[in-house]
Amino acid sequence: MAVQTVELKPSTGSLSRPSSWTTLGKNRIGLVGLIMLVAAVVVAVFASVLAPYDPKTSEGITSSDIYQRPSSAHLLGTDDAGKDVLSSFIYGSRVSLIVGFFAAFISIVIGGIIGIVAGFYGGRLENILMRFTDTMLVIPDLPLIIVIVALTKPSLLNIIFVIGLLGWTTTARLVRSQTLAVKSRKFVLRARAIGAGNWHIIQHHILPLVLPLLVVNAILVISLAILEESTLSFLGLGDPTVISWGQMLNFAFGRGAMSAGAWWALVAPGFGIVWIVLALTLLGHGLEQVLNPRLESHHLMPGRPAVQQEAMLGISARSSRNPKPVVLDIQNLSIHYISEDKPPARAVENVSFQLHEGELMGLVGESGCGKTTLMMALMKLLPAAGQIVNGKVLFNNQDLTAMSEEEIADVRWSAISIIFQGAMNALNPVRTVGEQIAEAIKKHVAIYHEAQVDERVSELLELVGIAEEHKDHFPHQYSGGMRQRAMIAMALACSPQVVIADEPTTALDVMIQAQILELLDDLRKKLGLAIIFVTHDLGVVAEMCDSVLVMYGGVTAEYASVDTIYNAPRHPYTQELLKAFPDLSKPEKRLSSIPGYPPKLDALPVGCRFAPRCPLAFERCFIEMPALHSLNGGDHIASCHLVEN
Amino acid sequence: MSNDFILEVKNLKKYFQAGRPSWFSLNEDYIHAVDDVDLQLRRGEVIALVGESGCGKSTLSLTLMGLEKATEGSIIFEGKDITHIDDRQRKKIRQRIQMVFQDPYESLNPTQTIEEIVTEPLIVHGISPNLDERRERVRRALEDAGLKPAESYLHRFPHQLSGGQRQRVVIAGALVLEPHLLLADEPVSMLDVSIRAEIINLLADLRKSRGISVIFITHDLGTVGYFADRVAVMYLGRIVEIGTMTDVLKNPQHPYTQALLSVIPVPNPRLRKKRIILQGETPNPIDLPSGCRFHPRCPVAIDICKQNDPDLIRVSETHQAACLLLNKVTVT
Repeated sequence: MAVQTVELKPSTGSLSRPSSWTTLGKNRIGLVGLIMLVAAVVVAVFASVLAPYDPKTSEGITSSDIYQRPSSAHLLGTDDAGKDVLSSFIYGSRVSLIVGFFAAFISIVIGGIIGIVAGFYGGRLENILMRFTDTMLVIPDLPLIIVIVALTKPSLLNIIFVIGLLGWTTTARLVRSQTLAVKSRKFVLRARAIGAGNWHIIQHHILPLVLPLLVVNAILVISLAILEESTLSFLGLGDPTVISWGQMLNFAFGRGAMSAGAWWALVAPGFGIVWIVLALTLLGHGLEQVLNPRLESHHLMPGRPAVQQEAMLGISARSSRNPKPVVLDIQNLSIHYISEDKPPARAVENVSFQLHEGELMGLVGESGCGKTTLMMALMKLLPAAGQIVNGKVLFNNQDLTAMSEEEIADVRWSAISIIFQGAMNALNPVRTVGEQIAEAIKKHVAIYHEAQVDERVSELLELVGIAEEHKDHFPHQYSGGMRQRAMIAMALACSPQVVIADEPTTALDVMIQAQILELLDDLRKKLGLAIIFVTHDLGVVAEMCDSVLVMYGGVTAEYASVDTIYNAPRHPYTQELLKAFPDLSKPEKRLSSIPGYPPKLDALPVGCRFAPRCPLAFERCFIEMPALHSLNGGDHIASCHLVEN
Repeated sequence: MSNDFILEVKNLKKYFQAGRPSWFSLNEDYIHAVDDVDLQLRRGEVIALVGESGCGKSTLSLTLMGLEKATEGSIIFEGKDITHIDDRQRKKIRQRIQMVFQDPYESLNPTQTIEEIVTEPLIVHGISPNLDERRERVRRALEDAGLKPAESYLHRFPHQLSGGQRQRVVIAGALVLEPHLLLADEPVSMLDVSIRAEIINLLADLRKSRGISVIFITHDLGTVGYFADRVAVMYLGRIVEIGTMTDVLKNPQHPYTQALLSVIPVPNPRLRKKRIILQGETPNPIDLPSGCRFHPRCPVAIDICKQNDPDLIRVSETHQAACLLLNKVTVT
């Protein structure tokens, strides 16, 4: 079976994901197109059965039959030669479809080969092929086709070849781009590392990923070919021995259908052409959507006000250790992702913490623990499907969850700002960094003079350690570390009180990471910022943070001061995580891992979310979700049955 | 670990041309990605290659694999010079040197099943044409990589597996050819902390059970603390320090190594230490500094550092560092 399955699967190339057929089924546009196309094909195939008359013979037709109105004998009337329009219409479908499919086939094969060869081999070969393609693209198709057909025999075969031989250019360009994109992907490198040669790579790696695009493009090319044939026939250049819709239009127009008022002779073939091209366009559109599913729930919609349920009796972590005022107070926050056909994904449940002025809190957790969802919710930047279903977000005693979109837009950035994950790649590449920082300022602060904005930008750049001269440079002229500094500058543009840093150093080298961390610490001290540092790196947290909130599966596992978390953790997840984290001060220590995987948010276990992987789990853990137990008079919170007093 | 060398690299250089020569300027700038590297690896040994971006570690591994052509120098694998061999011979060598990549989400073709992915190397090299035998090898490779029972994984697609599982598939794909040397380029840096150890322990077990030698490229020394026998620290295309794990961790001699070790965060707030944070970034590998490449950022550079480019100097039998101030100054 292994050998057979590596063969090309052209018809299922686009359906490598098992659910693709069902997706196509659900896609109404594509389905409509497909049905329309199938209807046309059925008509063409069964023409001899469906057509009431044979359009080739002129038996029994007299001159009085010309341009007869539609009647029971002729459902669509008769044409200029007295023949039944409906029969001609039905037989006409054959020619359109045949020319369309075959001509398109030729185009696709030529375009596909040129595209793959150019994209894969590159260099001079690519240059030659693509310049040739460009030249062909520049020449207008239709006039060229007309000239060639006019000079040669106007037979059906000829027309198919001419249309096919001139219609490959857009396909070639498309396929080349896709080939280039696939060629640079890591699994192609891996195939080379295994020892695969060019042909193997093209066959097994490039083609399966180019095919879906080719299929969609083919649909378009077919509809273009059909249009071109119809145009040619309409202009009188078609094969006179076959009936096509274009021919019907040609005869009708040329032989006075308009003046005779014989609208049926024009409407029928016109309708046929429209039907088929529409069918193909809809099908193509539907296929495109299947291949690039864009999640409809992604755009930012103004959040509905939170449903205030009875406040769950969680314990807010009032910490007596910090005398400074509380800036951000999160109380029992719960966030669910709501979707139509599945139960809600409980991304965050009942999380509480307090952030004091000047405090650096570490939010630790691994993939899927809900930390990014939690941070997005604080600024109401969740996608439409994410809803705050319980709890409060108190910023200086104002409840953010109860605010409208306008009110919260004021709070965003000027009071709480965020440095997003992968922010270094979030800069607009076509605008200078200075301009982008200025944009952040102008949106929030009513400064009237450009000069004041400019001054503030310089001030910010200096604050983060970027030299003045780089203000008018573009992001690509900045290094990774510099871009991250620029993002920090943007986050500070409106002098916020709270900054959320979501994995700000993840993609950076360890030395640059140290620089950025030092910068954040300095800024905190200089500006009195409170910072929430979201990360999975326990070392960084130990180095910098005052307090730590450890999340697992959407809930608080443990929340305490940094010293307590590292030296006296009570939650088994925290303990296991610490064991899994390398410690250079003890290099011989063999690292342990936590077996299993984090829970899927739409299939959460009953009881404690960590129980399936917990080495200390007992019966109760699998039945009952542990409450948030507080130790040390509220300074330390752990959600574990073993901690119960 | 025998005294038999599986890999010997001598004076290896890999330069890339920077920019393209145009009508107006003959651009002769080169990116000195790998600039004179010597390395010996014994059978069954694990060496960690540590460095930041731009140090040349990834280029070095690609050159060793033959995915990049060496500009100068020689690579001797199992006694045979493989630096400039032809494609046919290169393909044979590929059976014995395999790679594991950093990104488990991109290293696997999304349209192939796990079975197809792990079988592919066998097909490429025409090994075991008998279908049953082939399937048995694939099954064994998957189980050796920790994916048990293999049957339940064969028909799945990469997107149905987690990051850790995908990385195991990549390892299985490498194992199925029964290689002697594994080049692992940051194999765990994109995985969650709690599952990194699994993959590292897997590699450690494979070393023990199959005697595979490993070159482990990483920017995070902590993950290989107990697994690697030796460490080589790279900077701007050169190895600046090399020694056993204990040598380098407990007695680092090169200022860059000292700085690097000081900024690696230790997960204990009571051990917050003084960090040597180097300013600026790694300089452009096109325009190399004069003398010692590290001198512009070096906290203890003195005058002669600007003129003399040190080779690796012996610190002990197992330990070498390329610094003119060896054994004299430790950065505090």
